[in-house]
Amino acid sequence: MLSRRLWHSMPVNASRPLIYQGTKRVIASNNISTTDRFSPLAPAYAQNTIIQAPLIAAYSTVASSKTLTLSEQLAQGSRYALAKSITLVESSRSDHRAEAQQLLSYILKKQRDQPLTKPTFRIGLSGSPGVGKSTFIEAFGMYLLEQGHKVAVLAVDPSSSRTGGSILGDKTRMTELSRADDAYVRPSPSRGTLGGVARNTNEAILLCEAAGYDVTLVETVGVGQSETMVAEMVDMFVLLVGPGGGDELQGLKKGIVELSDLVIVNKADGKLADAARAVSMDYTSAIKFLQPPSPLWKTKVLRVSSRENTGIDKAWEAMKSYFDTMTSANKLTEKRGAQRKVWMWRQITSELVDRLNSDDKVKQHVAELESKVFDGKMTSGQAADSVVDVFLNKVKEDRI
Amino acid sequence: MSWKHSTSLAAVKRSIRAYSVKVPPKVPLHAEWAAMAQKELKGKDPEEKLTWHTPEGLDVKPVYTKSDTADIEEEIPGKFPYTRGPYASMYTSRPWTIRQYAGFSTVEESNRFYRKNLAAGQQGLSVAFDLATHRGYDSDHPRVVGDVGMAGVAIDSVEDMKILFDGIPLNKMSVSMTMNGAVLPILAMYIVAGLEQGAELKELSGTIQNDILKEFMVRNTFIYPPLPSMRLIGDIFSFTAQNMPKYNSISISGYHMQEAGADNVLEMAFTIADGLEYIRTGMKAGMTVDQFAPRLSFFWAIGMNFYMEIAKMRAARRLWAHMVKEKFDPKSQKSLLLRTHCQTSGWSLTEQDPYNNVIRTTIEAMAATLGGTQSLHTNSFDEAIGLPTEFSARIARNTQLILQEEAMIPKVADPWGGSYMMESMTNQMYDAARAIVEEVEAMGGMAKAVDSGMPKLRIEESAAKRQARIDSNQEVIVGVNKYRLEKEDAIDVLAIDNTAVRTSQINRINKIRETRDAQKVKECLEALEQSAKTNEGNLLALSIEAAKQRCTVGEISDALEKVWGRHMPATRVVSGAYRSEYGDHDDVNQTLKLVDLFTKNQGRRPRMLVAKMGQDGHDRGAKVIASGFADLGFDVDVGPLFQTPAEVARQAIDADVHVVGISSQAAGHKTLVPALVEELKKLGATDKLIVCGGVIPQQDYAFLRNAGVSAIFGPGTRIPVAAQEVVQKIEQALDNDK
Repeated sequence: MLSRRLWHSMPVNASRPLIYQGTKRVIASNNISTTDRFSPLAPAYAQNTIIQAPLIAAYSTVASSKTLTLSEQLAQGSRYALAKSITLVESSRSDHRAEAQQLLSYILKKQRDQPLTKPTFRIGLSGSPGVGKSTFIEAFGMYLLEQGHKVAVLAVDPSSSRTGGSILGDKTRMTELSRADDAYVRPSPSRGTLGGVARNTNEAILLCEAAGYDVTLVETVGVGQSETMVAEMVDMFVLLVGPGGGDELQGLKKGIVELSDLVIVNKADGKLADAARAVSMDYTSAIKFLQPPSPLWKTKVLRVSSRENTGIDKAWEAMKSYFDTMTSANKLTEKRGAQRKVWMWRQITSELVDRLNSDDKVKQHVAELESKVFDGKMTSGQAADSVVDVFLNKVKEDRI
Repeated sequence: MSWKHSTSLAAVKRSIRAYSVKVPPKVPLHAEWAAMAQKELKGKDPEEKLTWHTPEGLDVKPVYTKSDTADIEEEIPGKFPYTRGPYASMYTSRPWTIRQYAGFSTVEESNRFYRKNLAAGQQGLSVAFDLATHRGYDSDHPRVVGDVGMAGVAIDSVEDMKILFDGIPLNKMSVSMTMNGAVLPILAMYIVAGLEQGAELKELSGTIQNDILKEFMVRNTFIYPPLPSMRLIGDIFSFTAQNMPKYNSISISGYHMQEAGADNVLEMAFTIADGLEYIRTGMKAGMTVDQFAPRLSFFWAIGMNFYMEIAKMRAARRLWAHMVKEKFDPKSQKSLLLRTHCQTSGWSLTEQDPYNNVIRTTIEAMAATLGGTQSLHTNSFDEAIGLPTEFSARIARNTQLILQEEAMIPKVADPWGGSYMMESMTNQMYDAARAIVEEVEAMGGMAKAVDSGMPKLRIEESAAKRQARIDSNQEVIVGVNKYRLEKEDAIDVLAIDNTAVRTSQINRINKIRETRDAQKVKECLEALEQSAKTNEGNLLALSIEAAKQRCTVGEISDALEKVWGRHMPATRVVSGAYRSEYGDHDDVNQTLKLVDLFTKNQGRRPRMLVAKMGQDGHDRGAKVIASGFADLGFDVDVGPLFQTPAEVARQAIDADVHVVGISSQAAGHKTLVPALVEELKKLGATDKLIVCGGVIPQQDYAFLRNAGVSAIFGPGTRIPVAAQEVVQKIEQALDNDK
């Protein structure tokens, strides 16, 4: 709630958007409709930026020559340009973020003027460690290539909390796919800010689509709140489970099953085939009692063997049927729009927290308050109010 | 049994925890001695101050006395449980076999080298094959361009094998072959070469390594998935048991585990557990334990940990005898014998001040012989740098001749027997290893354990910790982290003209393809494919027929691959182990600060792709680097094994890394690194830096730098130092770009 309060106490003046470039401010000449503001674009300022305006926005369709070149190369399907663009959206440097936002808004504008020729499909994949997500994606991705699709895989790997470095090993688990010409596999380190999902994955999806990849698979670490995050950036959310008996269902949070449009029981082969059948029956009956994610679609449960390559075609059929159902009812456009709104709020929250955290005045104040809270001399609520007040006063001072 | 489906990581971690065995000494420190030592230590507690806590988890006392061995029973060599040796007279009647492992370039070159060595006192042959052969590829395959003839000799058909053994009578000479992946075609071609020389099957003697389980753990020179690989071993067991009574059908190897960073207890325990699994494999193939267990042989690495290596060899013999007796109850005492080959550690050799390696190898050779090995390979001092020259090979061989003929080592069997310390340490190691073997057995045996990934992770953790101990000077390596020379002299190494070898191999393959009976070849290959499908027939017998008809290594391997597929391992890298063992040292913190500053300036962490190109599966170095760099704040992409330069370039671009780190252990760098530079250029990615590490001789440095390599890190480079240099290079490159 902190962020919402903060937001409402700030003067809102969004009718004249500003472009933020480096430390300069430019008033944008073109008017932007309200729907545009619910774009998935993050504000183009990063942490550690000196705040010079009450509200800074970056809805620019004025592109620099660098942006034009990059978007040109993207449109031609250059993997080099795609890789560089994803690096830009993932960067924490303010000038990179500004460039990234320019690029994204330029791409969106182009897509409004001239929609992509192929429809795009965003699929989220989640599951506990060990259920065979990567093996499934390898087999499934290769199948999609055979069907003539171009496939991008965005995988999020955990960062070590102690030093921040990570081991990104997906290439070793998706050997064939990462060698294929029509596939792009990009593991990203999760920075910890937004659950397990790299904070800018939703922007990376747009870039992949601009480079001609019509199916994007987003794979999560599969722990904590990352499932919800992924569900909020994709068209369809798929849960992968193993044939490990009924206890796995018990252990899963009900919420994750509720989010799922499709449950795939992997490893339905060899000695595990019977177990997989049993697990799939357990899920089918459990789902009966859950609220379906959409009134148009009933969550399905399927069995596949990524190892023996069976059931992969059925899985794709189910996904296509979901896609067709939702598209024909115009629900997908609606869903993507709503998701953009959600992401706007997520980004507001994280942006505010980032900025609050990096404010020197706040830092000093917090140190003092923390010890008071620790000793029980102050309630945590009082301390929180006080921190927010200090931050807002600082913002006001900066404005004057 | 399911192979591909691994148990959850959490389960693996749980089982790893269970393996950390702590073995304290059974008898406390001698009281009178402790009091005297305390005085000498100016009042400090000698137990606390002087106990040696080994990486294996053993606590070794500063002194042992009679009471430590009070409960040890009278034991003689050649008698159960064989702690003191598999034979009664040991070296007193016949010393160990001097068996030098060698092979490089073409079969003609290797043959010349073998014959010269045999004339100079070597007693048995041990053939090293190149990586293309190991992985079942013919020399003309596009994936092996940089590998042909490099780390061993190239074999494509029985014609090559015949030249390799030209003038060497196979009915008399015992031949050991290090082969695990392409065991079928290679063993078949060796047999056919022998038969065509006029030898009889039953006369052939020697050993084939044939130990696939350890390949899945550490060395990665496999071809097929684990399950069919085990069937293949069963077929070889049953064929040789029936037809080749003097032939050792497997060499169960701990060597590569220690080389990959396993401590002595891990090496011993996992190897014994492998052996038990192979006995079950043979029994599954329809034999009784006594029909083939006497033909099992072992293979240890002997490193610089002198006492511990001797204790390992003694404890292993006892543990094997006990375990085989308890589990399989054989009728023949011969089934209980652990007979072993040893090789001095390649890992312990240093690039810096390389003549020190002569001394290291001598000490290791002493440990191997005092521990009672049946045969021994001594490394050449230049093997950390490149392939051995004739000179360095002579020094290595003479090391053993001097031990045998000047130092009088063979005069007494098990000279360490009865030593208070050695007997106690042997007991400690026995207990520690037995605990691990029993855990593995409880998991359902080594095949299941390997499937879960547990042994691999455990060894890698041990490796990362060891690297950290060395980098932080807790473990001394003379000339590397202490007493380092200011200026190193260059030494000669053997250079192989990889392109010339490849051309001559390809010419010979083409000639064979023209002259053989195409119809018969087709039939032989179909028979192999059929047998793989139906599980009927003996694959070795069928491979021998195929070899007779001049089918190639690649064709025989392909016939089976059609049915079984080629195994691609998933790479897992441990994290945190390096950092936690290293502790809070200045250079780690300095590196982390440097990386943090970089991250702030550049908007993301330095990102590196650690890649291996070619068929070289030795990934210990690559993994230690990946793990260490990630612990120091890098984002590290780990590439799959066995990549081509084009594939590595693609991955570097897709992940938009700053730098590609190439790890080379098998001499392919001069072909593969320039090819990578070329591929990157072709794809317009000139912004990617390339750094190299591994076994790269000094004289290649200039060549690689000219080809565009930014930095080269030889063996013994401390990881924080390398990481700092890499960060600086990236920053320079980014600045230049502006």
